[in-house]
Amino acid sequence: MYAMVNSAINKISTFVPASILVVGLVIGLALPAKAGKELINLDAMAGEGVLVPVAATRLIPGQDAPTPYMPPSAIDPTAVPPPSPSLPREFIPIPDRWGLIEAVGVHDNWLDPYNQNTLKGDRPLFGDDWFLNLSVISDTVFEARRLPTGISPQASRRAGSNDLFGKGEQYFIVENLIINAALIKGDTTYKPPDWEIRFTPVISINYADVEEVRVLKADPREGTTRSGFHVGLQDAFVDKHLRNVSSRYDFESIRIGIQPFSTDFRGFLFQDNQLGVRLFGNRFNNIFQYNVAWFRRLEKDTNSGLNDVTEDLRDDDIFLGNLYVQDFPVRGFVSQVTVVHNRNREDDEFFFNDNEFLERPASFGDERGHDYDVTYLGFNGDGHFGRINLTVSTYYAIGNDTHNQVNGSFEGEESDIRAYFAAVEPSVDFDWIRLRGSFLYASGDSDPFDNNEEGFDAIFENPQFAGGDTSYWIRQGIPFVGGGGVNLTQRNGVLPSLRTSKEHGQSNFNNPGLVLFGGGADFDILPELRFSMNVNKLYFEDTSVLEALRNQGDIDTDIGWDLSGAFIYRPFQSQNVIFRLSGAVLVAGDGFKELYTTAGDDGSTKDLYYSVLANLILAY
Amino acid sequence: MRRLAVMEAICAVKRLTAVGCLLASMLISVLWSAAAVAQNLTVADVEKIVSAAAQEASARGMPATITVVDRVGNSLAVFQMNGAPARVSVTSNRGIVAGNGLEKIEEIFAAFFAAANSPSGRLSAIAKAITGAYLSSGGNAFTTRTASQIIQQHFNPGEFYSPSGPLFGVQFTQLPCSDLSVRQATNATITGLVSATAGPKRSPLGLSADAGGLPLYKDGVPVGGIGVEADGIYTLDAAVNNYDRDVDEIIALAGQTGYTPPRDILANRIFVEGKSLRYTDVSASSLTTNPAAAPAFATISGGVLGSLADVTGYYVASSGILAGQTFGSVESGIAPASVVSPGVYDFVNGTVFVLTDGTSTARFPPIDSLNPTTAGGGLTSAEVTQIVGSALNIAFASRAQIRRPLNSFVQVTVSVVDTDGNILAIARTPDGPLFGTDTSLQKARTAGFFSSATAGAYLQSYDSPLGPVVGQNALGVRLEDFLDNVRAFVGAGALSDGIAFSDRSGGNLSRPFYPDGIDFVANGPFSKPFSVWSPFNTGLQLDTLVDNIAMNILYADGLGGTDTNATCSFFPTTTSSGNFKTRIANGFQIFPGSVPIYRGSQLVGGIGVSGDGIDQDDMVSFLGLHNAGLALGTGIGNAPAGIRADNLAPGGARLRYVNCPFRPFLGSRTQNVCNGK
Repeated sequence: MYAMVNSAINKISTFVPASILVVGLVIGLALPAKAGKELINLDAMAGEGVLVPVAATRLIPGQDAPTPYMPPSAIDPTAVPPPSPSLPREFIPIPDRWGLIEAVGVHDNWLDPYNQNTLKGDRPLFGDDWFLNLSVISDTVFEARRLPTGISPQASRRAGSNDLFGKGEQYFIVENLIINAALIKGDTTYKPPDWEIRFTPVISINYADVEEVRVLKADPREGTTRSGFHVGLQDAFVDKHLRNVSSRYDFESIRIGIQPFSTDFRGFLFQDNQLGVRLFGNRFNNIFQYNVAWFRRLEKDTNSGLNDVTEDLRDDDIFLGNLYVQDFPVRGFVSQVTVVHNRNREDDEFFFNDNEFLERPASFGDERGHDYDVTYLGFNGDGHFGRINLTVSTYYAIGNDTHNQVNGSFEGEESDIRAYFAAVEPSVDFDWIRLRGSFLYASGDSDPFDNNEEGFDAIFENPQFAGGDTSYWIRQGIPFVGGGGVNLTQRNGVLPSLRTSKEHGQSNFNNPGLVLFGGGADFDILPELRFSMNVNKLYFEDTSVLEALRNQGDIDTDIGWDLSGAFIYRPFQSQNVIFRLSGAVLVAGDGFKELYTTAGDDGSTKDLYYSVLANLILAY
Repeated sequence: MRRLAVMEAICAVKRLTAVGCLLASMLISVLWSAAAVAQNLTVADVEKIVSAAAQEASARGMPATITVVDRVGNSLAVFQMNGAPARVSVTSNRGIVAGNGLEKIEEIFAAFFAAANSPSGRLSAIAKAITGAYLSSGGNAFTTRTASQIIQQHFNPGEFYSPSGPLFGVQFTQLPCSDLSVRQATNATITGLVSATAGPKRSPLGLSADAGGLPLYKDGVPVGGIGVEADGIYTLDAAVNNYDRDVDEIIALAGQTGYTPPRDILANRIFVEGKSLRYTDVSASSLTTNPAAAPAFATISGGVLGSLADVTGYYVASSGILAGQTFGSVESGIAPASVVSPGVYDFVNGTVFVLTDGTSTARFPPIDSLNPTTAGGGLTSAEVTQIVGSALNIAFASRAQIRRPLNSFVQVTVSVVDTDGNILAIARTPDGPLFGTDTSLQKARTAGFFSSATAGAYLQSYDSPLGPVVGQNALGVRLEDFLDNVRAFVGAGALSDGIAFSDRSGGNLSRPFYPDGIDFVANGPFSKPFSVWSPFNTGLQLDTLVDNIAMNILYADGLGGTDTNATCSFFPTTTSSGNFKTRIANGFQIFPGSVPIYRGSQLVGGIGVSGDGIDQDDMVSFLGLHNAGLALGTGIGNAPAGIRADNLAPGGARLRYVNCPFRPFLGSRTQNVCNGK
């Protein structure tokens, strides 16, 4: 059950990344390709152990021919003899195993997600094996933060605003109601379902309050608050079980429609719910798993970050294939190799978001449109070496950009994309404490004026890493004030990608890159209560691009210290009620100070950046 | 470029240590800057440039008018090829009809001069050459295409909902009626107001946004500009997301070959708000001819391919091709203060340059205020000196926005005026772009004017001899309408209640959309509705002096009449100027970079700054004045916070006063330096 909750939550990437549900990561992300399948098996387990019809033969995995059923010999004289068919019946016949439980007094209660419940797939909705699994999740976020905020050149909120940087205090309230309905066909007790049809609308209401005008809307007269409402469609797919390929139910499936996908274990490259076709399956008793997929991206709703199916599809495709190998190189570690190709053909459009800000092409550099083709070659791994847990992710991006927005090239001059990325997170458990180290490297562009773009950018990142969205740097999208209509970093992103936005923008490989060193710990203080903390030290890999865009020399690479902590409280030790309270501060380093400040009340400046997040999840 | 190449070569020697490399670089820099100052265009240079351009134009079958000017705007050659378009059509290509500013103004002239209407391609070519020369410097190479990008209703043009170009309105500077810009020697005596013959020259059409104007460099030193008019359309580039193939630009590129700027300072390496500026849309690889193989000028002139052509008040063909002046020499009209005004600016932490009259006499040394008089609270010459010096000190300490290499300091011109717009002092950093001279004065006057309680009444006193009715200009625009507009929009007391208007504040009200850049909303009260607005029809700024421009066009094209006076507009002249000048004697300016000057709460003048990014211009004026006030202790300073225009929020959008830049000072991390001042 939990995996589904987790993947549903992931969709609300802007507001609730999966790292909220720490436990869920293990299930939800360790084997993303088969999470859905595993879920079904788990759900169907509810029916297990009731009665096993006596069959003449039993299928044993690994053996070619069915083994004849051999009744146990009555070698134990004290055993109660089996009932004789000729004895009078002690109860009335029942139509099926689902009805049996009704007969013994366990009644369906649709309000109770734990016990027998037709809405939870515990018994067929209709027919013999059509099950409905319904989840409803309320996800409420309150967020307060201080963010570098520019004062608009057209109008300020206050008199006496004489400088570029205004007051940076902001808060947001977001309520997402996630309705996840899956219709599943199949006797799912111990084999994959034959069909799955899943539909997940998300109703989002959001409200933002900031201190300066022209932050939320392009028109400064629109003021400093904004309300938003959107219904996004985060799942809408049909999954067909094509065939089993072994007696252990290794399978092949095809899934068509809007579906969740992650290219790696921690969402570094592409983790989203997008429209696509995916062929996936496993082999050799689940030792190998694979995916072959094509996604064509949906436009997003600007203010909720959810899919907007009313807009035209983007001219952006992702083609990918990957292979997971379990227990390689050691038992307990899963390795994955992947090839992901991102084809973007959005050079001929001007796309403005709901707030009237230009998203494509990015409002920086020469602002000319461009297409790009990037192939990501990746190796990823997750698991443990003995007591040491380890996650690894590496990518090499290679491709070309039809026009480099920064280097001032003339018509027809292309640029090469050559960028790389590596992230490692080892951890070790001591009883109720987990200690964690984090390292991340994303290459930066060292010469903004040559025909090479060397800053690593992802397709749609949602990293669960180094504190995830508890961290200030990862959680907040920091506008590149004074350097164009782009963000230095994206919301729920770790890369300083200088994109207009994660939701609407094109990838940008003219960026400064990142080096991150981090350490953290999780403390399971009570079964109901966990405290996590993280300390990250962040550097730009190369500030040449920032210096060019700002016409500002000698920008230091030191971004600063990102300190964060989070309490996660699960009063019922389940995922049905989760409350999380987290806080983070970014203690600005020299580089950050050279880029930003925020205005205080009395002509002072404030260089301590914070982020406070309160999150309540109620799940049915 | 060559200097960098030399340094790279030295530093590439493997045995040289980092320290050695650094020392060598410093030595070369010193030697280089000593050598770099003395460059000018020789007659041979100009001939080569004209020939190369003419060759390309000829090869393309697009006969052109080709003009070369030096860095201070002297026309060195106006070469009109046989068959070059006699006149240009002025249009923003948005279908705006004649009668709206300069849009299609040739149709209005055609009604009076049917056979030979105007403006001519010669005027267009001069305006383009001056634009290339004036916008560029040793730290930035800009073109008319750059100008086009930064004067439109959005920056970038075509990006809806984004604010207007940072230099919105700069096209109406260096105007023919300017009391500052000097006239060509042969024509200096029209009104007797501009006695000097040296220094920045005027441009017949102001600065140009039509592709085909490029700067010229010799060994990395800016020495002038080339302007080409071949297509007969005087326009702008409304979309910057494409690549134009503009024949004027290609011909100008041919002429520029061998006189190109260092690659590192091209506009497309200079970023404003993260957006790179346009240099050209095509490279020299688009040329169809080899400029190095161009025929000698003598073999193409005298009617073969074309001839040198008269432009009255700008160029005398019989003088032949002229050599350019060496910028920085007293003859050029701009020279070190240490030469012409020794001692005056010694307290400034940098080399100060000032304007000269062509000899060792300074044109605008600090003087006492004329109105108000010093007895009436006006600025003393000592106070003026301090204000200019403090402002320049800010410039020398600050991070330039439009110059490379990175870590260059701000280079600008600073002007201080009294409440009648009399020039109390002008001084500059050594390498500020030349356009900032006239522009800084416009800004100083505009801030002083709009902050004055008599501004409204003054606008009501407009009386052009060309206007069909008193109070109207030749196009029939009633100047007082702008006053009515602003009073309806801001309040009945506008322009009479003494609110302090910086140029940024006034600029907010001078955009075709209010708030600035927000499409589909109504225009600001000093502007025109967007349906008729264009960079050729900016509203109050142009309407006050469109008659002066028209007079000069007709005069320069030899169609008759007299040249415009050397004071813009037809408002009453001030007694303090000896009844020579209006209060806005070189025109209004509507982009940021100036603040009014106060003694306590009394308005005493204005300070204007121009030449770098607009936020830098703002800061140099605002903080310079602030610091001068601290140094003087005589009550001089910025407007009291309570009377600044940012207390007003007409139409639901608050006016801005100044916007000081991010990371403003070199070698310091301080931010928000104007906060609380």
